[in-house]
Amino acid sequence: MEADVVRSDLVLPPVMPFKRVQTGDKYPKGQSRARYWKHLKQLLQAENFISLPPDEPNYLNIESPPSMYPPKKYCDITGFEAPYVDPRTKLRYADPEVFRRVRNLPIEHVQRYLALRNAAVILR
Amino acid sequence: MAEARIARQTDYDLFSPTTPIVIDNGGSTFRIGWAGESDPRIMFRNVALRPRHRSTGETVTVVGEHDPALFKYFDCTRSSWRSPFDNNVVYQFEIMEYVLDYGFDQLGASSSMAGKVDHPILMTECILNPVSSRAKMAELLFETYGAPSVAFGVDAAFSYKYNQNLGICAEDGIALSVGYMTSHSIPFLKGEPLPEGSCRTNVGGYHVTNYLKELLSLKYPYHASSITWEKSEELKREHCYVAPDYASELQIFKKGTKESEEKKRVWQLPWIPPPQEEPPSEEELARKAAIREKQGQRLREMAAAKRSQKITDLENELHVLETLLSQLEQAEQPEVASSILARSGYLSRQEIESAHFRVSQSLRKARGEPTGTVEDNADNVTSADKYPLVSIPDEMLTPDQLKEKKRQLFLKTTSEGRLRAKQKRSEEEMMRERQNQLEEERRLENPELYLEELRAKYKELSEKMDQRKRLKTNGNGNGNGNNVSGGTGRGERLNAAQRERMRLLTTALYDKGKGEDTFGLKDEDWQLYKLMSKDTDDDDDVVDPDEAELERVATKLQEFDPSFVERTEARLMQSAQEPPRPRTLTAEDYQVVLGVERFRCPEVLFQPGMVGEYQVGLDEMVSHSLRRLPNLDSSVKDHMCQSIFLTGGGSLLPGLEQRLETGIRATRPYLSPLKIVRAVDSVMDAWRGASVYAASEMFSTQIFSLQDYNEKGEDWLRRYNIVYSLYD
Repeated sequence: MEADVVRSDLVLPPVMPFKRVQTGDKYPKGQSRARYWKHLKQLLQAENFISLPPDEPNYLNIESPPSMYPPKKYCDITGFEAPYVDPRTKLRYADPEVFRRVRNLPIEHVQRYLALRNAAVILR
Repeated sequence: MAEARIARQTDYDLFSPTTPIVIDNGGSTFRIGWAGESDPRIMFRNVALRPRHRSTGETVTVVGEHDPALFKYFDCTRSSWRSPFDNNVVYQFEIMEYVLDYGFDQLGASSSMAGKVDHPILMTECILNPVSSRAKMAELLFETYGAPSVAFGVDAAFSYKYNQNLGICAEDGIALSVGYMTSHSIPFLKGEPLPEGSCRTNVGGYHVTNYLKELLSLKYPYHASSITWEKSEELKREHCYVAPDYASELQIFKKGTKESEEKKRVWQLPWIPPPQEEPPSEEELARKAAIREKQGQRLREMAAAKRSQKITDLENELHVLETLLSQLEQAEQPEVASSILARSGYLSRQEIESAHFRVSQSLRKARGEPTGTVEDNADNVTSADKYPLVSIPDEMLTPDQLKEKKRQLFLKTTSEGRLRAKQKRSEEEMMRERQNQLEEERRLENPELYLEELRAKYKELSEKMDQRKRLKTNGNGNGNGNNVSGGTGRGERLNAAQRERMRLLTTALYDKGKGEDTFGLKDEDWQLYKLMSKDTDDDDDVVDPDEAELERVATKLQEFDPSFVERTEARLMQSAQEPPRPRTLTAEDYQVVLGVERFRCPEVLFQPGMVGEYQVGLDEMVSHSLRRLPNLDSSVKDHMCQSIFLTGGGSLLPGLEQRLETGIRATRPYLSPLKIVRAVDSVMDAWRGASVYAASEMFSTQIFSLQDYNEKGEDWLRRYNIVYSLYD
């Protein structure tokens, strides 16, 4: 290990004296454990909140509801109020100059703008 | 944010095993320290990376942010910074273990001989953490680290209690915690949080920074690599603010008033101006001209030398041939003549003569004297001779001669055709020359009128071209653009050619009521395709002459009219902003302007719909929390609203309080009391509150040990909640 790496304490030492089980033993090398850990969605499913009494608060109960106010439409590029939508790309725009810019955007930028709004159609 | 690295702590052994270790396990930052202290000892970003060390090939673990220069020793392409969190719940316990390893190690635990972390641990989690996550965390702490006892608490509650003891907020109130991935609104009654009234929206500081990063990268794709996550966080911290009224703020910017100009912030990226090329000085120019002169001179000399060489060669050859001829003439006896011939290499006297003729011709050409007429005559003389058989009628010839005749006929017609074409071309040239001369004369006579005529002609031609182009693209553009709705049967505006085709096809295929389709039985039917214009041919032939004319007029205008700018260029300048024409870059190109983005990004907290999360914003969350507590009467709710407490890193945005006040006031009864207070230190107060809590005497009643965990089971763990008011 290079000198300045050692000096800077960058890397975790493989053996920690205050642990009963070391990570090297617990997680043997070579196995990808990404699929082993359940994501939040799976955790919540396993939690089975339906069987619990509904008036008791739990992780899902306290999720916020949709807003009372209808969501305002803002231009994807400039951020101003956007009364118009481009039918080809489904981007919102505020006025004709912005429209010109919208039409000249490369496809990748269009997808990214839509993804910002969570409106991108992902084809798998 | 490259903070100075905190050195590993050395006083771990000085703390007795009863001193709890306090950990604030946050979505963005991990803070660890000793109970009772006012500041956590160690703080770092709650992420880990597992790169491969280049020289040894082993995979190592790096936790938190470090000096990026050190990463050159590691291959970081296959790995990325991972967080143990998914939303605000810990799910990746391997990463969590690495983080805890690093945290304990930095706290100095490696120096202890105990072989385990022999202190009670107080850890923060999100409110109503799913029990499986909590169980796994407890397991990790008990079994791997050997902690004797563990307690879990909500970070926002610790912050609230801490500030309550400082007198900033009352024992009844609402805590608004703006976290990394989520924001919570938790009502407090008599110092204890009410989970049934709490409410969570899935937007936080991460979403604000991400929005800013994406907006800037899309607006300045050229600088996309400079707009990193760390830089965006820095920009957010420095320049973002919450607009007191979003719509009116937008209007200020839309109108482009002076106020909006003042509100814009400019980030200047490092930029090196290109080295100024000095205009070449007089000496430079003179020197270059002299060099060019010399080169030209040298070339000319070489050419002259070659030419003279060629002339001398030809002269020599001519001389030789002449002597040969004179020798032949002088030779009286045929044997002498034939021997001379044999020596010279020519077969007959005629050959020598023709060679002589040729050489003298080329000599004359080399010398630059006219030789054309002689050749033409020669040609003319031989044309009749060349094709002798052509004039003789067919019957008088043998089959061989007939074949010969056909060949000669063919040759004659082709050469004649070529002559005719050449003549026509020369005629056209002369005509064009004459026309140009006429035009020149006209121009010189009356320049103004001439220009006017030219301009009118140009306008006419360009309009015709535009119209034709529009018709063409209208028919094709509609078809290409709307692939779904393209097609002839839906009333699209077809151009004339397409309509004609349709008409022909439909009339031909219409069976005139006979009941059977007889198209194609007769050969003549297919002729109708010849009537239809094919698109490709149509374009090329028809457009060409007009386009050529347009070009000619344009060039003329460019020459003579100073105010003429080609219309095509003008149109291009108006329409497309991109692709950016290659030109010298100025300092402005390296500036990133933050205008609307300054308040557009924090607006995500109030209108999560801007990023696609259709939930309530911060202001409505408060009213929603209160609505979730129907059993409380309005006086208590009024009391609560007098102590709305802001905490969490994301709440440091300026202008947040004012905006919240307007928003919440809109949801409360008219003239009900409302007061918004901020935490003393929104970022650190959660840890500080936890530290104070852990240091209190009654703390030991709130913790649970491994034995408890094993005996009481998961259901108990789900209902486990600490009592926060231990030290009132």
